[in-house]
Amino acid sequence: MNCKERIPGIVEYARRRAEPDMELRAHLAACSGCGERWEGERQLTSQFSIMRIRAQAREPMDARRESLMREFARRHKRAPMPVWAWAFSAAAVLLLAAVLGHATHSRVRENPVPAIRTHGVRTQQTILYEASADASALSADDFVALPYALPLAAGELVRVVHADLDPDVLASMGIDVDPSWASEVPADVVVGEDGLPRAVRLADSSQF
Amino acid sequence: MQRSDEELYRLMRKGDQDAFAELYERREPALYRYALHTSGSSIVAEEVAHEVFVQLMGAGARFDERRGSLESYLYGVARNLIRVVRRQGPVEEAIDRAVEHDILGDLITNETMAALHRALREMPDRYRDVVILCDLEERSYEDVARIIGHPIGTVRSRLHRARALLSAKLKWLNAPAEVLSK
Repeated sequence: MNCKERIPGIVEYARRRAEPDMELRAHLAACSGCGERWEGERQLTSQFSIMRIRAQAREPMDARRESLMREFARRHKRAPMPVWAWAFSAAAVLLLAAVLGHATHSRVRENPVPAIRTHGVRTQQTILYEASADASALSADDFVALPYALPLAAGELVRVVHADLDPDVLASMGIDVDPSWASEVPADVVVGEDGLPRAVRLADSSQF
Repeated sequence: MQRSDEELYRLMRKGDQDAFAELYERREPALYRYALHTSGSSIVAEEVAHEVFVQLMGAGARFDERRGSLESYLYGVARNLIRVVRRQGPVEEAIDRAVEHDILGDLITNETMAALHRALREMPDRYRDVVILCDLEERSYEDVARIIGHPIGTVRSRLHRARALLSAKLKWLNAPAEVLSK
């Protein structure tokens, strides 16, 4: 290794204030150029230490910091909203509510949520059952699971409500309705704990 | 977990003063020292360190995370501010005056220390920055490479070159009178 190749090692040892390894020590003792460089680097490191200490000895500048924070707060302070802006905002909110209300109402009319129409229901008897994993298991008892119904939770208590239902209501539940049926139809409706119907079974269609 | 500079910056842009204060506490002292070593004046250093944050909170702050770290951006702003100050004329050499009354003068001559300050200020930016960051701020080569946006090898070679230049100046100053008179 020649002198030029040793320079990085010399610099790094001096920067870390470490003792050179034996091989480098031997070279520094034998080579006056590298020896001088070593002394120069060590001296520089010592002087940098003093500079560092001096630079860190600084008077606290709380006033400057405070003025900077005040300036930040001033720049990000929101101006109070004028009265006309409040009135405009309120009008906009009312208009938006009206538009949304109208849109929602229209959608409900187009896709009515299937439910038992209370005026067409005459509850005759209510029996409680514990549901199995889902409402489709009820099909074994001729119940037709409603296609839009949420699945029943295992162990959820359901009611079977015996009721007279309007044929329109049955049709909205996805039941095949005979057009000749004019009056209300006796049916059993499985109702979940949330009060929503899950399945329906016609009592006996032959009697209508 | 400590939030990154960039995260604090995003929060401060949304008006979070605590984030701004945290960023200030974290970076201002080192920026002050950088400006002090570069300009040689504590008054200029105070002004520069303050102005960096004034610019950061301003609408015109052009920091872009994709182009580098916020720390790198802050040093860049400080460097430009110091250049502006220098163009306006010589700055007050507060450090050199302080050296005259320094109790450490027993160990190192005032003249030598003043000359070191001067030599550092007169160096090209690329050498001075690595000396300040590596040797005076004691940052790792990796950190400095990230801040100045150059590979670690470049940082190391610039530092070695800069130290050689400074050593040579000090050696000349420390040379015995008889050598200089030759």
